[in-house]
Amino acid sequence: MAGGSRKYGKKDGDRYDASKKKFAGKKRKDFEDESAYDEGIPDGNEAEGVPEAAKHFIEVEGERQGEDEYGAKDYRDLQLKPDHKSRPLWVAPNGHIFLESFSPVYKHAHDFLIAISEPVCRPEHIHEYKLTSYSLYAAVSVGLQTHDIIEYLKRLSKTAVPDGIVDFIKISTLSYGKVKLVLKHNRYFVESQYPDVIQKLLKDPVIQECRLRHSVESSTDGLITQVQSKATSIQFGKPGTSGEEPGEEGKQVPDDISNFYDKMDKDEDDEDDSSLQTVAFEVNQEKIEVIQKRCIQLEYPLLAEYDFRNDTHNQDINIDLRPAAVLRPYQEKSLRKMFGNGRARSGLIVLPCGAGKSLVGVTACCTVRKRALVLCNSGVSVEQWKAQFKMWSTADDSMICRFTSDAKDKPHGCSILITTFNMITHQQKRSYEADQTMKWLQEQEWGIMVLDEVHTIPARMFRRVLTIVQAHCKLGLTATLVREDDKIADLNFLIGPKLYEANWLELQKRGFIARVQCAEVWCPMSPEFYREYLACKSAKKMLLFVMNPNKFRACQFLIRYHERRNDKIIVFSDNVYALKHYALTMNKPFIYGPTSQNERLQILQNFKLNPKVNTIFVSKVADTSFDLPDANVLIQISSHGGSRRQEAQRLGRILRAKKGAIAEEYNAFFYTLVSQDTLEMSFSRKRQRFLVNQGYSYKVITRMAGMDQDQELNYKNKEEQANLLQMVLTASDIDADEERVPGEIGGRPGPFGRRVGTMASMSGADDAVYMEYKRPSASNNLSKHPLFKKYRTK
Amino acid sequence: MSVQQRTLDCKDLHSYLKTLPAAVLDRLYNHPATCLAVFRELPELSRIYIMRILFVDQAVPKAIMGSWVSPNSARELEDIVKLLTELRVWQEVEMQGGLKGWLLNPTFRRNLKGALLGGGNEWSMKPNTDADPKARGIAVLDEYAMGRWECVLHFMVGSHQHEAISSDALQILQHAGLMKKEPGDNQLSITKDGFQFLLMDTSAQVWYFLLQYLDTANSRNLDLIDCLGFLFQLSFSTLGQDYSTDSMNDGLQKFLQHLREFGLVYQRKRKDGRFYPTRLALDIAAGPKKSMLNSLNASSQATGYIVVETNYRVYAYTDSSLQVALIALFCELIYRFPNLVVGIITRESVREALKRGITADQIVSFLRQHAHSECYKEPPVLPSTIADQIKLWAIERDRFLYKDGVLYNQFDSQADFEILRNYAQERGLLVWHTLNGRKMVVTKEGHDEVRKFWKRHSRNGSM
Repeated sequence: MAGGSRKYGKKDGDRYDASKKKFAGKKRKDFEDESAYDEGIPDGNEAEGVPEAAKHFIEVEGERQGEDEYGAKDYRDLQLKPDHKSRPLWVAPNGHIFLESFSPVYKHAHDFLIAISEPVCRPEHIHEYKLTSYSLYAAVSVGLQTHDIIEYLKRLSKTAVPDGIVDFIKISTLSYGKVKLVLKHNRYFVESQYPDVIQKLLKDPVIQECRLRHSVESSTDGLITQVQSKATSIQFGKPGTSGEEPGEEGKQVPDDISNFYDKMDKDEDDEDDSSLQTVAFEVNQEKIEVIQKRCIQLEYPLLAEYDFRNDTHNQDINIDLRPAAVLRPYQEKSLRKMFGNGRARSGLIVLPCGAGKSLVGVTACCTVRKRALVLCNSGVSVEQWKAQFKMWSTADDSMICRFTSDAKDKPHGCSILITTFNMITHQQKRSYEADQTMKWLQEQEWGIMVLDEVHTIPARMFRRVLTIVQAHCKLGLTATLVREDDKIADLNFLIGPKLYEANWLELQKRGFIARVQCAEVWCPMSPEFYREYLACKSAKKMLLFVMNPNKFRACQFLIRYHERRNDKIIVFSDNVYALKHYALTMNKPFIYGPTSQNERLQILQNFKLNPKVNTIFVSKVADTSFDLPDANVLIQISSHGGSRRQEAQRLGRILRAKKGAIAEEYNAFFYTLVSQDTLEMSFSRKRQRFLVNQGYSYKVITRMAGMDQDQELNYKNKEEQANLLQMVLTASDIDADEERVPGEIGGRPGPFGRRVGTMASMSGADDAVYMEYKRPSASNNLSKHPLFKKYRTK
Repeated sequence: MSVQQRTLDCKDLHSYLKTLPAAVLDRLYNHPATCLAVFRELPELSRIYIMRILFVDQAVPKAIMGSWVSPNSARELEDIVKLLTELRVWQEVEMQGGLKGWLLNPTFRRNLKGALLGGGNEWSMKPNTDADPKARGIAVLDEYAMGRWECVLHFMVGSHQHEAISSDALQILQHAGLMKKEPGDNQLSITKDGFQFLLMDTSAQVWYFLLQYLDTANSRNLDLIDCLGFLFQLSFSTLGQDYSTDSMNDGLQKFLQHLREFGLVYQRKRKDGRFYPTRLALDIAAGPKKSMLNSLNASSQATGYIVVETNYRVYAYTDSSLQVALIALFCELIYRFPNLVVGIITRESVREALKRGITADQIVSFLRQHAHSECYKEPPVLPSTIADQIKLWAIERDRFLYKDGVLYNQFDSQADFEILRNYAQERGLLVWHTLNGRKMVVTKEGHDEVRKFWKRHSRNGSM
């Protein structure tokens, strides 16, 4: 005869299975593209920006291959080369590539694969990459030739390269990279080394319309022919101390691989030296987007390049890197890709959070030395960018202008403008001051536009930015090029190809980012909570598993443990109700949507400098761009469904390399608290996939030693827990919702601009709580430092 | 209601010998090789004891023997006394004056002396005097042994490229419960035990298989004692040396042919007159614990072929359908390349394996045992998170807590229900209750008490 406990177990098993099944169907397809928890609503005409070739999905062609008796794709008929042991790759007919990281030619193959394909997962031993049309587009735009890609792939592969792959590479690359869009003297030109391509384009009626003819140019075809002068390669500040290690090529490297690699290396340099004959025609500035779109349809996507050194029209700005700024090897590598041929290419650079993205941005600005516009996604990060500029470069206050709702510096005469995406795309009426700034901004011809956290911007908003700002070159910076929807691909065509993506595990090994111990803490649901959880409807469910008293205790236990070690702790909760409850019960400061800019900065400042403030609670406003260099412990108590990006962003908060703590195996800790047997379990598994594919591993903690003995934790007895349950049950559905943060663009649905903010804040309920929280309660706070009265209010 | 996992019981040499009847054991000790093998496998302390009394032809009082160890080790002494008695290496005898003592089994004593000191009949096998014109190297023997053995395993997983195996082998597989015929189906199919068997390491497999074989020895007119004796002789032979079959009787010749089929010995032709023992044979007396095979594996880590990544990916460098089939037991396979299999460990795939009776520990140790040499460069060989997770998936299936109880229902009134429930609750006897339908469960121990109370209560109530 079984008791109540059995009943739980049974039901739970079913539930868990059911939720699993939902994902199981997709799992097979590919771990990358799942859109169950989309973070943005598709904006209508997205598909237009994507060239035809990009739609050739080799995945489909791969499907036709047979399957073996276990349901695996069977590629056993590929011819294995006799010396396959010394070659590092398997190339599957569906575009997936497997790379042995322990192969003697790993370094060569790795650089090559990063250039031509997307990394799928990069753990310790064997990496998986995937050829996509986007990645090949990127490869071409950094100067690789179709022939070279195929040839090198063939040499690296253990087996014969499938014909389908060769064809795919040809289809995807032959027409790419042939034409460039160049902005010179405030005039746009379409330029190419291949006159026949230009001729072909000019025959198109749409393009003819976009063409700008000057009566002066009366030569027969009106084409401008010029010889590109010899360019010297660019030096970024001081080269990193630990540059490229000397290649340790043993005898095992087959000759053809190393020879070819050297040749490819040289090719890139040679390109700079040779003088090239190019043909060009001018384009009407208003028709830029039309011609871009048309060229994509014609399968000749335009690459944007900026010949900044020959730009005499725009004034150089007086800015340089400080001598103290030393680039790390991977930062330098990424910049080399950007400035490879002496011009500035537009594109994306993907570096883990904390790996020094801002330095890359600042260096790029200092290299171009023209007016720079930096766009980020919150007011706090505007401040942080300004600080970064002042730290790494010779720019001073007079040169940097912030343009946010709080700080409006005078723009005139400044050379670096830092603002947020929202400020630029704001469509309502602005103040006179802001309006003037906008006008000024629109009139300028910007040398470089740096887009921080670029993955958060939906394509539509980005288009708006493009129509407002004239920039020669666009640099997108991000840590996580994943979204639960597939909109990342569009960035490739709106900004440019991915120029560089760093390997997290490698940076971690070399000490550039912190070594993080990731842990998933399983908190059993207390029986009472679980009974309610099973009984109630979905909105409440979330509140129940976040407010699970065992989770609270685990959180409190971890905080106390790490505070004793003098760690700096950030606690994340997407659920505002839980955030406030946890923070107020434990008497810690917290930041969420309604917290004012001033107060946020104050709390962050205290967290950084005040030894008494070791723990802060934050909602998802802090997901990106809050730079908290000292934090080394992160506890996550509730999160946004199965968002892989959020998980990676949050991890990024503690990734900045820690000083001194080299002796320990790990120097940062990332805990996710999960209520056992609830939806959270499957969410959590989904969320972890990105990081797991980067080589991180999550340790599951089912019991924490000493937690049961700790008498000072809250909710130790049934009564307290029952009170908590009552409180949770009486909370409204709105409380159960996640916070919607103004300015968080990814979550904003549709073009109708539904006002962001929770229902609570719309109805004013939010404010009631907020007021209470601001009110100083004299009795409680007498003993405390006046500074804390403000946010340490019960 | 027990859901306890049954694991395949693989006995070591001693526990096998203990199962044999006393008469058989006594006869077995007639072979010096057996005595030496048994002696060799004994714990150190018992070996010292035996050496001390080997030349004492009379019983030795317990009190004296007890004084050879310090009092702290009394427990150990107890253990070895028990072991040696069970193995019939010595017996308890009554000495003059009512003192109890131990006396070594005379057969055992004689033959162990013989084995250690030489003299008497030659007990080990004689190497062939004339050199084999077609001598086989050790590498060939290893290859042959593993090839033959894998053939049996191939047959079990039912992979396509297997050669047929003999009916004797089939019989043993069935007898061992590793495979069985489904009713109405002519084909043999693998059982839960079979899956577990597949994941054991080779020497354990061989030993387990042989034990099953010996179980059925009598039924095929083989003499168990002869066979065991021969096996132990084999285990003292030299790898790469050929031995003569001349002195073997018909039964042993037949046994030899069986061993040949499983790869324990190599014979070019049945009537060749000579045979070579292989590593598999040299290993048997050592039991599943320590084996030369493992040292073979360790010396050439190249035989390890599995790379497990922290993202649950499994890469196996293999083209053997047996190895692929083994991995497919608990992995979902994604890609097959000519020399590589790519799979992923998922919750579903592991649960599937668990349902088949494979345990989490077996999966984990299988992955560890066959880890690719690259994985040894940075321990742990198997990422600890993966090992943990596989175990967690196993625990996950085993979360029910079973409590015996007695159900009370069909109460006439709410009041009755509440009275009884409160009574049980106050005494901590209540396991579960619901107002809905007025049911309650009390613990088994509490049943009597609650029933008495109920009788009292209803009697009072009716009065």
